[in-house]
Parts: sequence; structure tokens; C-alpha cells
Amino acid sequence: MTDTVTGAPPMQRSGRRLIDLAIEYNFIFIFLVVVAIAAILSPNFMTPTNIANLFQQAAVVGVVAIGMTFVILTGNIDLSVGSVVALCGMLVAVLLAGGMPILPAIAITILTGAAAGATIGLITALAEVPSFIVSLAGLVSFRGITYLLTDGVPVSGLPPSFGAISSTMIPLFPGAQISSMGLIFIVLCIAAGALLRFTVFGESVYATGGNAEAARLSGLPTKRILVLVFTVSGIMSALGGILLTSRLRIGQPTAAQGLELDAIAAVVLGGTSLFGGRGGVLGTFFAVMLLQVLRNIFNLLGLGSFYQMTVTGLIIVAAILLNRFIDIRRGRA
Amino acid sequence: MMEDVLRIERLSKRFPPNIVALADANISVRKGEVHCLLGANGAGKSTFLKLIAGALSPSAGEMRVDGHKVSFRAPAEAAAAGISMIYQELDLVPQLTVAENLFLGHPPQRFGFLDKRTRRDRAKEALIRVGANFSPEDRVGSLSIANQQLTAIARSLTRDAKVIIMDEPSAALSETELKAVFRVIRELTAQGVAILYVSHRLGELREIGDRVTVLRGGQTIETFDVEGTPDSALVEAILGRNRTLVERRQRPPVTGDVLLKVDRLTAAQGLDIRDFELRRGEISGLTGLNGSGRTSFLKALFGAELCEAKMSLDGRPYRPKAPRDAIRAGLGLVPENRKTEGLILDAPIYRNATLPAMQGNFLARHGELKAKTVPVLKQLSTKYGAPEQKVIQLSGGNQQKVVLAKWIIKGASLLLLDEPSRGLDIGAKADLYRLVEELAADGAAVIVASSELEELYAACDTIWVFHEGRNIARFDPAITNQDTILKHQILGEHHHD
Repeated sequence: MTDTVTGAPPMQRSGRRLIDLAIEYNFIFIFLVVVAIAAILSPNFMTPTNIANLFQQAAVVGVVAIGMTFVILTGNIDLSVGSVVALCGMLVAVLLAGGMPILPAIAITILTGAAAGATIGLITALAEVPSFIVSLAGLVSFRGITYLLTDGVPVSGLPPSFGAISSTMIPLFPGAQISSMGLIFIVLCIAAGALLRFTVFGESVYATGGNAEAARLSGLPTKRILVLVFTVSGIMSALGGILLTSRLRIGQPTAAQGLELDAIAAVVLGGTSLFGGRGGVLGTFFAVMLLQVLRNIFNLLGLGSFYQMTVTGLIIVAAILLNRFIDIRRGRA
Repeated sequence: MMEDVLRIERLSKRFPPNIVALADANISVRKGEVHCLLGANGAGKSTFLKLIAGALSPSAGEMRVDGHKVSFRAPAEAAAAGISMIYQELDLVPQLTVAENLFLGHPPQRFGFLDKRTRRDRAKEALIRVGANFSPEDRVGSLSIANQQLTAIARSLTRDAKVIIMDEPSAALSETELKAVFRVIRELTAQGVAILYVSHRLGELREIGDRVTVLRGGQTIETFDVEGTPDSALVEAILGRNRTLVERRQRPPVTGDVLLKVDRLTAAQGLDIRDFELRRGEISGLTGLNGSGRTSFLKALFGAELCEAKMSLDGRPYRPKAPRDAIRAGLGLVPENRKTEGLILDAPIYRNATLPAMQGNFLARHGELKAKTVPVLKQLSTKYGAPEQKVIQLSGGNQQKVVLAKWIIKGASLLLLDEPSRGLDIGAKADLYRLVEELAADGAAVIVASSELEELYAACDTIWVFHEGRNIARFDPAITNQDTILKHQILGEHHHD
């Protein structure tokens, strides 16, 4: 057991804190390194258009990964998100194609996503079964419902104003603009970060993931917290589905297959521990962007998706090993 | 004269830097006898057993099995030499069948393939020897605890055990189940197997034991023949004559009104508490052997364990369904294991300390939370760097103070402390009890459960003795001798001052 550091001189202490911070936020350094490599490899990378594209392409998986961060922070996993994205993407398309105005259609879709997440959370919390298996069942069933909505047929004929939700270009400052979709992703990241950092609910998420029994004995409603994090994940998946359909201009029942794995990879790559209690949205944001930059580099270099997949896997393994190594150094092995 | 199957001379175990867990322990176990091992908490029993079973290596001393000198580097070596250990928490795999468990690690083979038929046949033989009425094909998880105990004994037999060590087998068994295990023990000893039987309970020792060795303070004190040795001689050997008596602190008389009144509280595993009362300003100690129900009682009071109870708090009926209810009613629990139940090790000090207090708010104002934490930590004279520091970096004593700080910040008026001094050094213990006294002086009521009677003796207004799930005796330490309390703790006699 290490003792307190009260005896250390202040110089040494601030130096140690700086190193601690550097270790804690290592994903930012990794991200900057990859960006630098990309800028060197391709002159087209650092252009405003390309950067705007990066945010637009990252938005769907990014929004879903925000919700996944909440779930993983409690030590759980949500495999159903890809199917909920598809279900909600289809639902909003069906409602709009049926003539419903945009706002109520979006509201109903978000409520549906929340209900899907809450269902998984309720079963996990009340029956005390692993969320892995409950959400795996969700993955299969929600996809099934998605196909049942239209018997597997894509839905088109959406109002053009619905497309504007994702693709309106918003000027940030002269010469740089961002799509509304990218901006929504960034705003949601900030909102989620604030929720985790500045509310008792956020504290409770970390506490439940860090030590569920200690949290329970401190009077936290641990079951309610589990239901809530899955509800957040469901809402984020619904938003992901709405953005996806808005961008594609059709409801596609086969969309977002395997999206859950991209989201999990981003969350873990961002330094959030699969055992819960450690991590945050900032890491998830940078990891989502990192993975998008990688894809972007390969595209700019004209290398196919086979290379992308291979290298992405290697990067994830490298990041996990790095975090494991840091853990061992800190004596938490 | 029967021959010694296990003979141990001057066995010692030191843990660096300077903890002596066992010093010059001697024991000789004869073929076909039931040799009991007796000692208070911390007497060195578990170290002794681990050394014999090869789970620890001795620092000095000699062990002989059947006259041959042995030294074990791993439990498997001890098993191969014929020494088999049955742990209190049975180390069986519940998902596997009885036969699979019996030969776990040494399955019968034929041409390198698993020989299931031989395994079944030999499993059947072993089960017949222990008088089991279940099949080798049954899943271990579907068996009763008593039958799992028999499975563990049968497993020892498949390894041709000469000595079977049983660590408090009675803890989880009912009276009738224990009788069945005893019958098996008698049959095995008749066949020449020796049993080293560890228990706190003198009654069992009278029923099954041939000889008994008493451990105290890491040393083997004496070996007695069970027949002809009075209880008083055994208790004296367990307690020792020249005990260092702790100075009892002067406590003002308790004058507060009754805060907690438990008419009756029953829960799983035979917990049955009656007529327990606690006044404001009172420090009440719970003592008792392991498994006496102290922890379950505290958890039940705190709503963390299911129970049936008729009790009142401050004159109003009190029925907590979850810790949340208890906390709202003004209770606070410092759990037995601070690392797994008390703290979120990876979180900063101030977040741990304010976790109960922040519930019900929407915003977590970090500046405010820190401001609440710092004076309380100071009041507890906690040594730490900054409130943002992770609790994992604190020493055990300071971690315990953070757990206590949770309830002081929340303003709990009834504190439940479960083994609060475990792992603390003398200075930290003194701090802890000084603080408990201050809280009581401010009108809080405190229940302290501890296996260290001396601590309770020094600090408490009342001491309750718990025995097999019941609160059997209540003493006023100001007018009672410590040894009297210890005798009740071991023998389970009823008493009320």
C-alpha cells in the first residue's frame, strides 16, 4: 500500500501531477500524432472541406458511442445499439412517409429508442443477468422488428426539410464550416460530458461502475442507475438512427449492422475501462475521431477497406495494451 | 501405542518485516485419531493449517509424514504425500458432477484418454466409504451443503489421504447434517485415517475429538486428551493466564433515550436477535466468534440484507428495505471490508466521502463537496495530499477514516461499525475509538462489532455476546472481568446483567 504524498516537496508534486495528466489523457496525444501523420501523408487532409467531412462521417457512430460510454462506465455493455439505430431510422422514415410532421415523428422515435434501452436496462437490473446476453437478445429482436415494419423494404419519399437536419452547413468562422450533423455530435458530447461531470447522476454512474456494492451501501439507487444508463444509450441510438436516415434520405432496414462493435471499440480506445468506473466522453470523442481519421487516411491514399480493418484492429490492441501497461505501473493490476 | 502419521516440530512462519504468525509449533497426529485444534481469533490456526497443507512455506521447522521428512512447495505436493485439506468454503466446482469433482486434477487415464468407467467405479467406492446416498453423476451444485461436505471428504479419499484437515466444517451445517458428517469421520478413523479437526466449539470437540491441541499467540500451548480434561482447563489454555489487561476508559453514564429497539429480528442462516436496545450516546460492542451473526445483524439493521423484524427507531416503527431507507432514517454503516464494500478505490477522496450526502441533489458541485470534506478529514486527523487524491493511494487507517467521513458528513445519528479496526496500527486504532467516543458524546449511538474483545472492553458501555446467530449475553464491562465475557463467547452460555 502506498502512503500519502504529504511529505513530497511541491515541485515534485506538480511534476508528478503533470505526468499523471499526460498518462490519463494519452489518447489526445495519440490522436494528435495520427493527425500529424495524416497531414504529412496527404495534402488534402488538412483542408476545411475534409475536416467538415470527418465530423459528418463520424457523427452516427459518435453519437451512439456517447450512449455506450454511459453503459460501459457502469461495467455493462449494450450490444443492441446497432439494431436500435436501424429500428429508429426506419421508424422515423415510416412515420414521415406516412405524412406525420417532422417534430412529432422525431419525438416518437426518440421515445421508442428510450423504451428499447430501458427494457434492456430493466431486465439486466431486476433479473440480475449479464447485460451482454440481454442486449444480444435485443440486437436480434430489434433488428427483426425493423424488418417487420416494412417487410424488409427500404422507405423513401421523405420530405426534403428532414434531410436538412443532417446536412445544413453552419459557418463557424470565415473559411470553415461544419455540417449540422457534426455539430450535433459535438454538442451532445459536451452535454454528456457535463452530465457525467456536474450532476449527482454522473457521480452515481462512476460510483456504481467503480464498486457497485460500496455504492449500494452508500445509499445509491444502483438499479435505477442501470436502467437510466441503458435508457441514455437507447436515446443516443435513436438520435443516431434519425441522423442516419436524414443523411441517406431513405430508411434502410439493413443499416448500421455491426455498429455496436465500432461504438464499443471507440469507447474502449478512448480509455474507458470495460470493468467500469473509469473513463469518460472526452476519450470517446477523440477515439471516434481517431478511427475516422484512420479511415480517411486510407481513403485519401487509395487503400481499400481490407487495409483499414486490419490496421484498425491493430490500433485497438495497441491502445488496450498501453492502458494495461499504465495500470500495472500504477499498481492496479 | 499408536504410531504418528503426522509429526511437526518447531514449525515457524514469519512474514517480513517482523510479523511472527507461528512460532515453534509442535503437533503429533496419530493414525486413526480425531485431533482437534483450538484457539481464539488470531491464535495462528489458519497459518498453521496452510503450512501443513502446503499453501504456505514455513520459515523454520520440520514436518514428518509416516516418519519421512517432507517439505511442501505447493498444495499438490501435500496432497500427493497424503495430506488433504477441506476448506470451510468448499473448493468444489458446482457445475461439474460429483465424479468429475472427485478426480479433478488427477483423472484416471487409459492410453492417455480419460477413463470414465474407472472414474465412475472409483467414485462410487469413495462415496460408499463416506456413506453418501447420492450418485456420482449428480451435479455438485444441486447437492446440499452437507452432501457437498461429504463429496469433499470423498475427494480426499480418492487421493489416498492419510490425514484429512477439516477447517470449521460445522460452520455451515445444521445439527443433523453435522451428525452425519461425524458418523463418516468415525468410520474413516476406524479405517486408520487421521482427522485434524478445527473448530471454535467445545461441544463438538467433546463429541468427536480424541485429543486436542490449543494454539495461542502463534504458539502451540498444550495437547490434552479430550476425555478427563474439564472445559475450564481448555478455556484457560485458550485465554492464557497472564493476560495484558487493557485500561478501561472512563465513560460517562449513558442517559440518552432509547434510539433503537429491536424486539425480534430473524434472517437467513439462523440469525435470531431478541430484545436489543440502544440509547443515544451509547457505544455498544458486539463480540462473538466468526459466524456468530454480528455482520448479518448489522447488515440487516442497515437494510442491506433481507430480514423479518419488529423494531423501532426513535419510537417509530423501523423497516428498512434498502440501505437508502436506513440512511434516510439516520443510519450509517462502516462495512467489514472497506475495499470491496466501503470505498470506490479509483475515485477521489472527496467523492467517496460525499457520496451518501449528495444523493437527492441534481447537481454535484465539486467545490462545495470538497469544502464539506476537508474539515471532517481534519477532524479525523486524516493524512492525505489533496481531496482530489484517489483513495487507493491512502494507507489503510486513512482509508477507514474516509469511510467514517461519509457518515459524519451525512450526519448519521446511528453508526454501525463492522470490524472498524481491522488492518489498522495501534495509533490509527486509538484515533478511531477516540473519534467514536466524540461522536457518542455528541449524541450519536454507535454499535461496534469486533473480534478484538480488548478494544470493545476499553471503549464500550455495553458488550453483547453473539453466539450462533443469537445475542446470548449482555455485560457491563465496568463491572465484568474480560475472561468472563470470553468464556461466554466460547461456551455460548446465556447471561444478562
